[in-house]
Amino acid sequence: MTNRRLSQAVALLSVLAVGAVEARNVDLSTVPDRDTVQLTIYNSEDITLVRETRKVSFKPGANPLQFSWANTLIDPTSVELRFLTDADKLDVLDTTFPHDKPQMLYWNVQSEIDGEATVEITYFTSGITWSADYVCIANPEETEMGFEGFVRVFNNSGEEYEDAQIRLVVGKINLVEKIAELAKIPVSEVVLLEERKREELKAKAMKKAIAYGARLGGASAPADAAQEARPKEIIKEGLSEYFIYTIEGTETIADGWSKRTRSFEGTTVPFKIQYRYREPEYGPQLVRMYLLANDEESKLGTTPLPDGVVRLFRQTGRDGLSFLVAQPIKYVPIGDKIELNLGPDPEVIFELVKRRVWRDTIWMHIHGADVFRRADQPGVEIEVNSTVAGWDDHTRFAQRVRNYSKKPIDLEVRRTLPGHVVFRSGLDAKNHDYRTVQYTAAVKAGEKTDLVYEILEHQGRNKKQDNVTVEKAAVGR
Amino acid sequence: MRRRTAAMGVVVLAVLAAMPTVASARIKLITLPVRQRVEIQLDNPNATLVEEERVVPLVKGVNQVDFSWANTQIDPNTIVFRVVPRAEGAEGERPEGEAAKPLDVSVLSVSYPPNEAALVWQVAASDSGSARVRISYLLGNLTKSFNYRAVASHDEKTLTLRQYMRLQNLANEEFGSTGLWAGFGPRFLKPIGINETKEMLMEKYESVPVRKTYTCDPQEFGYFDRPKNKLLVPMHYVLKNDEENKLGRAPLQFGKVRIFQDDGHGSTAFLGEDWGKFTPLDDEMRLSVGTAQDVVVRRTIDKNEQKRVAGNLYHREVIVKYEIENFKDKAVTLDVQESLRAIRNEVGGDTGRDAEWELGELTTFEGGPDEEKSDFDRVVFHADLPARGADDKATKIVHKLHLLIKNEW
Repeated sequence: MTNRRLSQAVALLSVLAVGAVEARNVDLSTVPDRDTVQLTIYNSEDITLVRETRKVSFKPGANPLQFSWANTLIDPTSVELRFLTDADKLDVLDTTFPHDKPQMLYWNVQSEIDGEATVEITYFTSGITWSADYVCIANPEETEMGFEGFVRVFNNSGEEYEDAQIRLVVGKINLVEKIAELAKIPVSEVVLLEERKREELKAKAMKKAIAYGARLGGASAPADAAQEARPKEIIKEGLSEYFIYTIEGTETIADGWSKRTRSFEGTTVPFKIQYRYREPEYGPQLVRMYLLANDEESKLGTTPLPDGVVRLFRQTGRDGLSFLVAQPIKYVPIGDKIELNLGPDPEVIFELVKRRVWRDTIWMHIHGADVFRRADQPGVEIEVNSTVAGWDDHTRFAQRVRNYSKKPIDLEVRRTLPGHVVFRSGLDAKNHDYRTVQYTAAVKAGEKTDLVYEILEHQGRNKKQDNVTVEKAAVGR
Repeated sequence: MRRRTAAMGVVVLAVLAAMPTVASARIKLITLPVRQRVEIQLDNPNATLVEEERVVPLVKGVNQVDFSWANTQIDPNTIVFRVVPRAEGAEGERPEGEAAKPLDVSVLSVSYPPNEAALVWQVAASDSGSARVRISYLLGNLTKSFNYRAVASHDEKTLTLRQYMRLQNLANEEFGSTGLWAGFGPRFLKPIGINETKEMLMEKYESVPVRKTYTCDPQEFGYFDRPKNKLLVPMHYVLKNDEENKLGRAPLQFGKVRIFQDDGHGSTAFLGEDWGKFTPLDDEMRLSVGTAQDVVVRRTIDKNEQKRVAGNLYHREVIVKYEIENFKDKAVTLDVQESLRAIRNEVGGDTGRDAEWELGELTTFEGGPDEEKSDFDRVVFHADLPARGADDKATKIVHKLHLLIKNEW
């Protein structure tokens, strides 16, 4: 099954000293294995920071060290070598990228020791990505759900990283300032940069930011726990603007493979059900929502939830599941809401009935005199040479809700009413924003109700504003 | 010749505890747990969920359970692996092959090999033995639809309505005896073969009262003879989906309805077919059964008069006249529908505004508009039409719709 195409290796060449007679085509080298490897994977960019340690034996004097990475996606300009032991006695004198071997470099290491030292090699590679997803299973009564989070790591980098410690970075940092700094321009001009240039600078800025972040979390990979017979814990911690998930122990993900691990489990997450009408968000239909929050009350709240797809099921109560919906969610910070849209419910019928239309407060513009007079008052005669200049449209609606389900329902309706509008009703209504009215109602199981309201829209010269005013008033049937 | 069928299976690799990765074993010993039970949930309007139960032998430690499929549209992202907990004290009912004492089983991770329709679960078991697991996934090309067969009585007062669910299996996978549920109605246990279509009787509603309606609506149905102002009069069977009308067990799903009538000679005659719309409880399903050519409705605008209020502001008085003749040998009720906005547009042009209207006193339809079926945009009146006379002549019934359309400009 292994398809190990990689040849990424550090070789200590047996050439005695720089300046000695170099063999062009005949080499002898020793190949120190990786001791530890750590992958820090960012999902906002296709960049992964790889940090590996190896033990290398040095002799006093110059030691040529070859690093090669055939058939992988490593960025050669990002490769760095550090000495974790005897750092004061080891120095990289120079680095050579041979013209005839594009995926290789040589470090010329000057050593004062005769023995083994631990080196750390860091570099960026692309082709390793990760994503989050969630599986939620509601109980048959629809009061609580099992909420499980997963992370899946995809390795298409061309390299198999064996027993790697894996850290996943959640979040996206704003790189505008860093891009401006690199381009030596004001922040406001970043948007004016040519797209290719901006992307190039963004990648550089990203790498700088990552390199800094990586040094902050400098623990080496812990002992292998791959064969432990329990699910691995994923440790979550905040770091600057990121949140880092560290998968317990180490993982081996072969090239081309992906691996999915549980990131958290909230066994009994309580939730509420609400029926909503919000046309801009859910289309022109009443939808059923599961509402919960990423907080302690919902038995969550230990970590932000990265972007991912939520797959929602419900136990049928007969030993099986019903599939409800698959919905992508955006990053949910700790404390924020999680809203899952199950779509329309065939047991709840939602109809808007127009009951009556009428007009009043009609103003006529008398031509020639530039005078306005009301036309809809008794005994007033108005010149023939006049036109309607302003009026009020009244429309009375009944929002009819029929609840055939076996449970009472909570309903929230938002309607956007453009123009200068007065919303009159005896309903529990308020402004959601300057042009949107929101009202709520409860409908008992098996009940049919008409939620009646009137829309008054000032038109023509009667229109003074562009907003909605909510008025509490009894409205006729 | 049977073409390559799906190969969907679960295998358990028994060499696993010692394997450092899922990728390295060359020599494998595998067991092949068969399906014990399959359930297909058809309650989601857009997706079909398959749940299968298998008894999986596990060794103490970490096991690999390999799930693979070929030539089927399983969405790998939807696959859920659950261990079925054994009920306390259920020792006596333990299925053959299951461990004597419940195992503590958990999924450690899932690996997805490249370019293969497969995945591998790493499953930890507290002891050696078997565990009952349930694997569920969304499967494409296994779809359902509904259709109906309605047989009306000879007098067209009642009908027998049969509702069928049609399951079409183009998923390239066969299922043995499988539980099927549409989210309502009965549960079925049926085998489903590859490329098989299975039609199952969901409900049989007997003696359902049916109302045969004759409707004219220039807006919805148009004219039969426009120069002579004769309206088209389609006929419908109308069923009300409530208990009083011997339905009302669940919303009636969208589907084709084939309509037959008892011919009075022990057989049935095919009257036609129509698409039945999704019909919630308490709503009506209206099925077209053709056009009535012996109910003649001539519609004319009898009066169109505008009265200036001021400047360019007018009120308008309109009378729509209906001359109706029923050439049938039985009395019928005609539903006369009108869109008020369409009438205003017809007589005064489209102002882009709703029509503000009142019913005038010259309106002749008894009882006024049907409140349940009317709103401010559309009104429905009922007109009773007597059968044609003994001399084969139809009585001409004249009705008027008198409207005061106000504040137009």
